[in-house]
Amino acid sequence: MAGLNISPGSRGQFAAMALVRWQLFVNSLRTISGRMELVSRVIIGLTFAFAGFGGAFGLGTAAWFFVSHNNAEWLAVLLWPVFVFWQFFPVLATAFTDNFDSSNLLRFPLGYPTFFLIRIAYGSLDPATALGSFWLAGIALGIGYADSRIFLWAVLVLMVFGILNILIGRMIFAWVERWLARRRTREILGIIFLLIIVSFQFVGPLASHFGHGSRAAIARAVSEWLPVERLLPPGLAAAAISRAAQDEFAFALGAFLLLLAYGNAILFLLNLRLRAQYHGENLSEAVAPSSSAGEKTAIQPGWRLPGLSAPVSAIFEKEFRYLSRSGPMLFTMIMPVVILVLFRLTPSSSGNEGFLVRAPDLAFPVGAAYSLLILTNLVYNNFGADASGIQFYFVSPVRFRQILLAKNLAHACVLALETVLVWLAVCLVFRPPAPGVVLASLAGLFFALVVNLSVGDLLSLSAPKKIDYGTFGRQRASNTTVFASFGVQIAIFGLGALVLLTARHYGKFWLATALFLALSAAALAAYALVLNRADQLALARRETLISELARA
Amino acid sequence: MPALAISTEHLTRRFGGLVAVEDVNLRVVPGQFFGFLGPNGAGKSTTIKMLTGLLAPSAGRIEILGLTLAGNSASIKRQIGVVPEGMALFGRLTGAEYLNFVGRMYGLDRETAAKRAGELLEFMQLSDQPKALVTDYSHGMQKKLALAAAVIHGPKILFLDEPFEGVDAIASGTLKAMLQRMIAHGATIFLTSHVLEIVERLCSHVAIIHRGKLVAQGSLEELRAGVEAQTAAALPAGAAPDGPSPQAGEKLTLEQIFLRIVGGARPVEQELSWLG
Repeated sequence: MAGLNISPGSRGQFAAMALVRWQLFVNSLRTISGRMELVSRVIIGLTFAFAGFGGAFGLGTAAWFFVSHNNAEWLAVLLWPVFVFWQFFPVLATAFTDNFDSSNLLRFPLGYPTFFLIRIAYGSLDPATALGSFWLAGIALGIGYADSRIFLWAVLVLMVFGILNILIGRMIFAWVERWLARRRTREILGIIFLLIIVSFQFVGPLASHFGHGSRAAIARAVSEWLPVERLLPPGLAAAAISRAAQDEFAFALGAFLLLLAYGNAILFLLNLRLRAQYHGENLSEAVAPSSSAGEKTAIQPGWRLPGLSAPVSAIFEKEFRYLSRSGPMLFTMIMPVVILVLFRLTPSSSGNEGFLVRAPDLAFPVGAAYSLLILTNLVYNNFGADASGIQFYFVSPVRFRQILLAKNLAHACVLALETVLVWLAVCLVFRPPAPGVVLASLAGLFFALVVNLSVGDLLSLSAPKKIDYGTFGRQRASNTTVFASFGVQIAIFGLGALVLLTARHYGKFWLATALFLALSAAALAAYALVLNRADQLALARRETLISELARA
Repeated sequence: MPALAISTEHLTRRFGGLVAVEDVNLRVVPGQFFGFLGPNGAGKSTTIKMLTGLLAPSAGRIEILGLTLAGNSASIKRQIGVVPEGMALFGRLTGAEYLNFVGRMYGLDRETAAKRAGELLEFMQLSDQPKALVTDYSHGMQKKLALAAAVIHGPKILFLDEPFEGVDAIASGTLKAMLQRMIAHGATIFLTSHVLEIVERLCSHVAIIHRGKLVAQGSLEELRAGVEAQTAAALPAGAAPDGPSPQAGEKLTLEQIFLRIVGGARPVEQELSWLG
């Protein structure tokens, strides 16, 4: 890390960076969406502040308890969660969003030290750093309150530990960025992260379902892990403080020096990546023309779908190709099954068997309804993923009525597929649902689907929002869509409950099926009306559609 | 008399208080390679958007191939091809899938769409990466794909909004070869461009829009003659006109004509003295 001196010109560059970020923020407030964004950021900020202060208080109390009861070595139990959160949260959040492009900096005459520091500083005020710093401050105060002799030493150790966390975070980010710069690997990593999150959901249920025995095995595993833990940064920071509390200053100093050695190693690795970036490393996603003629393949004709016109078949095929290439969308497909399994494994709060275990006949309708609820993301924003492709629909000779019909058919097929999956899962995890329940559920699902498609088509044309199927998170639908969707779901569930109560009152379950079919007929009439007005509405809204969806 | 390929009458578009296009009367004869020029913000893209149905006019009338756009939108769209500003691509399809899709949207049967898609990918030198998604294409590759999609149904008129913007010399050569082939087969091409050299080399006819108004229209020779006559009439004997002038015996270039018409020449004395 030799030569990391800041020249007077660099100070101007830092000031310029800070100013441009401030100006970007001020300019973002010119639009209503920008102001809404600020409001949501304030709310999120307050939530984080609450988590920060609350966490700091809790961790501080625990630190006070450990140190005052001569168990300072237990500080590692507090430092490990801080460390894990600090490292995993930003990576997780970054995987779902676009990342910082360092090539933007390279066109300016920045020296390497300035570039290095800007890369370290960029995002160092992120939620993980803010929360982590708060929590460490809480721990330091707790230690100081319990044993004022080691307060300053604890502050020094925790400060180094905090800086180490920032550097590790930057280092992980710089290396992960190498993969995240490419769309495919970004999507794959995103799916892996989500699978990890989902797998966490199973830890509790699985533990309570299978585990009533092997506490000794857990204790043995922990004792085997302890020597390794003591050599890692949280363990070293805890040892540096606890040994000082026990007046073993040589050991404390040794642990502290090892912590600093970690810092140097991290800086070396970080430097390796940032130097490559500084020298213009190209992480472009653009494909280079291949020289091998062997890769060329014959063009396969598009899908032939019986009974459908060529444009409707083409759009149907295009929708399925889009969905099949979207990791996040495929991931949501398995969620209803995951939820059913979770319901099967999770005991109720009273310790009895879960709700669906006690009423397994409801498992199929619950799973099917959840599938539809997930699908509304697509149904209410039909053109969201088309981006600038929306222009093509306007210059093509195909009517919007056909375009929407094709998209609706594709979404209905997805729902049908999901319903089959849910049925299979219910049969395997609970028990095969009664034919009457299946029929009533399917009739209710059909009614709900038609209503959602009708409203979804209207909202897709009137309140579009550009989305990327390949990106997780931070893709909010328009507020209009969110509120309308919410209202529609309440109305559908209300009607559904009324139908089921009526059927129950008369003791005839087939009545629910009949009522749902009657409601479906009315919904189909409304759907036809919407499709007939689609072209008119699309023409009236074309400027909004194009400007919202085709923007860069 | 055969119908005009494109004609507009009093075409106007307002955005709130701003009049982006005002009273434009265009005449494009079938078979013409027509360049639509203007400085930034003059109204070129707004006009081409109105001509292709991407934007509704505030006033005026548009006729394409003798049919009014307002009442015959679908039948007109079957006969035109468009490369709009945003290229109208579907990023998560491969090039072949996208061309197949577009072909079938224009009513081609599956086999014809696939055959033409293959030929176009070959012609545009895009067939080397059959599995790459459009979103991963370079800008030049996307431009070539957008043009391929615009011609897959054999349109009679092709509308191109800045087709050469951000395209390298090799891709630009491919695009020009495609366009000249279409003109040789009797198609009409209407393009907007900032690259005046390309327009001068390709286009037989030109219109210039400035601050929303059509200020010149005709063949290059007609425009040249008009500008020279105007300059001669306006200048006292022996005085030099504003802006760049041709060498003795040379004809005015399109750039010189353009600058004379829109008055964009910068006075020589207006200097940035601190520039090296």
